[in-house]
Amino acid sequence: MNPATGYAATISSVDVVAPALRRFVVSRTKGAFPAISPGSHGVFAFGNGQRTWKNAYSIVNRSEDGRALEIIVRRAEPTRGGSDFLYRHGGPGLNVSVLGISNLFPIVRTGRRHIMISAGIGITPFLSYMTEMRKDGMDYALHHYTRPEEADAFRAMLSPCDPSRVRVHEGRQEAVASLRMLLAREPVASHLYVCGPGGFMEWVRQTAATVGYAATKIHSERFISPAGGRVFEVMLARSGKTITVGADETLLEALENAGIDAPCLCRGGACGMCRVGVINGRPDHRDHVLTGAERDSGDVMLTCVSRSLSPTLTLDL
Amino acid sequence: MSIDTRFRSAGSYRAPYHMENSDAAILRFPFPFPEDHYMYSMNIEPHVKAGAVDSLRRTFDVDEHYVVECREKARILSEDPGRCIVLPHMRAAEWDFVELAMGSLSEDYPDLFHLSRDGTRWRWINRPLNIDQHFVFGDAGTLPYAPFEFMARQMQGDFTLQDQRDNDLWMDGGMVTSQADWSLKFDLGMSFGQWHAPVPKAGEMGIFDRGLRFLLMLQHGRPVRRLNWTMTVNPRLDTSPENFTIWGRDRAGVTGDNARDLVHLRVELQALFRLPRSNAILFAVRCYLLPLRDIALVHKWRIRLHRVLRDLDPALSAYKGLDLYRAHAVHYLARFDNNEPTSKGIGPDQDALVRT
Ligand code: HEM
Ligand code: FES
Repeated sequence: MNPATGYAATISSVDVVAPALRRFVVSRTKGAFPAISPGSHGVFAFGNGQRTWKNAYSIVNRSEDGRALEIIVRRAEPTRGGSDFLYRHGGPGLNVSVLGISNLFPIVRTGRRHIMISAGIGITPFLSYMTEMRKDGMDYALHHYTRPEEADAFRAMLSPCDPSRVRVHEGRQEAVASLRMLLAREPVASHLYVCGPGGFMEWVRQTAATVGYAATKIHSERFISPAGGRVFEVMLARSGKTITVGADETLLEALENAGIDAPCLCRGGACGMCRVGVINGRPDHRDHVLTGAERDSGDVMLTCVSRSLSPTLTLDL
Repeated sequence: MSIDTRFRSAGSYRAPYHMENSDAAILRFPFPFPEDHYMYSMNIEPHVKAGAVDSLRRTFDVDEHYVVECREKARILSEDPGRCIVLPHMRAAEWDFVELAMGSLSEDYPDLFHLSRDGTRWRWINRPLNIDQHFVFGDAGTLPYAPFEFMARQMQGDFTLQDQRDNDLWMDGGMVTSQADWSLKFDLGMSFGQWHAPVPKAGEMGIFDRGLRFLLMLQHGRPVRRLNWTMTVNPRLDTSPENFTIWGRDRAGVTGDNARDLVHLRVELQALFRLPRSNAILFAVRCYLLPLRDIALVHKWRIRLHRVLRDLDPALSAYKGLDLYRAHAVHYLARFDNNEPTSKGIGPDQDALVRT
């Protein structure tokens, strides 16, 4: 693989899982994708000629022969960015390159029992978890929370799974009623994994903490899909360049489009790889990586999700 | 060169010691000092098939000592099977290792190693060690040893497997037979901070914090490497705490006269790989030993080694166990140092050796 261009592939099939959810199979034109550990995400690059997007998605499955990867994408609101493009225009034949595959949400293999709690599209890493857990004879359970209108879609998605290990909960009411009880019933050795929207994950974490889970037993992948915002300017102190970050692009994308070699890995505010020094201006932090002290100091920021509160930022780039 | 002449067939890494290096082996030695002064640093670079010396240019380096080293490794393992331990949750990492090792060795040395794959039916040929093994990838019962052990026995150097969890790395497996005074039995199950605890200074310098953070983000397909060094008296690969009573006393026997033959610069080419199906990290430590008399054949290296050893921080000298004989080594090397400036980088700056 060439790290700059990644694994070349094309979309080979698309199916509609629910009105807002599509499943894409991305296949290599030649050769295979590397083996993949459960919980991995890939950075997928695609575009329409005018624009290239690079989005991270959990890999739901890798085919036995390694030729194909499967992802599930939710139509993004607001309608900016890659997910919306894929949802609308991602059809068979579209070129997609997979720039890198990493895992920020691995299974704790020393755990004796694993309990997974997901909401909505947050199910995706757990689909790959369960394939492995079944194969390795691990002890596990999944509780999936969904809005009622998508419940059938998720039930269908989970139908190949062992019914004694997965449960689909519909709607808010049931969530509030069930979560505390089912967490409290777990043996103390259980590891808890959470994936879903930010508010949901926070609620599960807090509930788990109140029934006595140690913080080291609670695992989550705190991916953020970067939201747009006000237009701002960045001045790059070292190269002397000035760049405008548009309302519907991220700072990282603007840097890349300007030909700056900016570091990144998860593109979702989860890993810290894209950290840069801020020399002037007030960053609008939107990540889950920086400590409170770093945030307050205002002299570092993560370019993949964070923006600016001041009209201009000067960066150490 | 044919296989038969490429590898040395005789040599001994234990008393009576006997180990020689060809001119080519000396010139490809991964000399670890890019400058005249040494201190710990974040000396990590991409492990690409390029570098100032030839030993850096393969995924796993195989040199003229391959056959004798593998034989020595087998002997150490038969005396102490506890040198290879892999915890049960590292099964997927074992197969990752098999795939990486067989794939890259057969690609880098097509005349020595061959891999053919038909789905999960694999065939592995190792010509120098006379191995021709059919097996089913993923089925440990089809190999004569556990998968990691099967392959690590056929490679020079040490290997450890690190599981990644709780934002840390845990040494949960390995085969360690050519180490600089540390023990897998002792470090097994430890975290990155715990197994590095004996190292002076680097912790306060923030090197371990940064190193760990970097490794947690290491990506598959983008391995990295670093060079580490120490010194060893006699060409002994297995300087383990378990066998300290055998090699420890040799350090007191170094004199101004014998330092050139007894004292060896010991360099570890450490390569780190993200393994794809397990998300574990492979730490590969390839050990190179070169006596001072051979280093003295390279003009730049003998001057630089003199300066590094002469000015070495006392805490590093004590940690590396050099205090008993460092002065003798410096005394031997001083004769070559005429205060001339040296070039940056580790390359030898010469294409041939002049033996007198
Ligand atoms: C998974 C990766 C690694 C493993 C398994 C590993 C293992 C070890 C071990 C076993 C020791 C000997 C400690 C002792 O005295 O008992 C050591 C020493 C050391 N390690 Fe690491 N290490 C790793 C990565 C790194 C990295 C990334 C760095 C720096 C960026 C680093 C820097 C050092 C240094 C400076 C020493 C002291 C060496 C000397 O002075 O001889 N290590 N390491
Ligand atoms: S790229 Fe991971 S936090 Fe920005």
